Amino acid sequence: MDLTELITEDVVKIPLVSKTKPAVLRELVEILDGAGRIYDPERVYQALLSREELGSTGLEAGIAIPHCKCDAVSDITIAVGVAPEGVDFDSIDGDPSHLFFLVVAAPGQSASHIQVLSEIGELSQSQSYVRRLAQAQSPTEFVRLFSE
Amino acid sequence: MDGPIQRIMVYVDGTEESITAAEYAIALSLRTGAQLTAAFIVNTRALSQLRKARIFLDTEAEEYRRDIERDADRYLELVRNLAQSKGLDIHTIARSGNVHEEMKRLVKEEKTDLLCIGDIGGIRSRRDELYDETDRTFRSAPCSVLVVRDPDRVAEIFESIQ
Repeated sequence: MDLTELITEDVVKIPLVSKTKPAVLRELVEILDGAGRIYDPERVYQALLSREELGSTGLEAGIAIPHCKCDAVSDITIAVGVAPEGVDFDSIDGDPSHLFFLVVAAPGQSASHIQVLSEIGELSQSQSYVRRLAQAQSPTEFVRLFSE
Repeated sequence: MDGPIQRIMVYVDGTEESITAAEYAIALSLRTGAQLTAAFIVNTRALSQLRKARIFLDTEAEEYRRDIERDADRYLELVRNLAQSKGLDIHTIARSGNVHEEMKRLVKEEKTDLLCIGDIGGIRSRRDELYDETDRTFRSAPCSVLVVRDPDRVAEIFESIQ
């Protein structure tokens, strides 16, 4: 699964304007809607909220990977948002989240979904790389950094 | 049956590329008389990592594992049906674990001469080299590997089999 094909400038937003967890999820869903990658934004948003109710996807070191399965997409899709000031996302370490990868896959795409989440999870292990991504000033710069 | 290719294996992961590889492997098996095995590996290593990284809840990991096991059955059945539609009986294997390591093991166990895989595309970043399982299978397989490209041409070849 080639993440650089999924993470294009039209699905990257810098900076996110939202200041709360539900608002960030909504804003990320709107990015996908604006890019024409989902059929039903509300259903995706509700699926994300349901997943977050089970446990936060806010990880350590300022990264969050909200995700869900939803039939409002035909193919696996990703939105990226950067919040320079950070947002309280109920993260594991209690710190604000700065870098958000929203991953939505259709039911029946579990293998691809896992691979994408796994690849993003792997990159989140490098705190210096996450920091560089979170400091990107524009979608163009983010995509360039991500392609390295 | 003799010749350099007696046992072919095709790696199926549910992608369109892997189904194209399966069609080509079927055509090749019919032409060479080689025995064909289709293999699907449920990537439980990735599931464990996602759970460890707390990206997945335990219940979520379990749900995805069941999903992928169902996918494995579904896609292997699809490939079996494709082969049968051309009068070929094939062997199918579903396993769990680290994809490229399981494939390496299977290739040896089945005494595979040729492994067919779907198009792996270009390496666009270092991450592809590290994490793309098809790419890692390609690089670590202990036998000759055929990367199947040009799905339109493969479809033509497959359709033309009587």
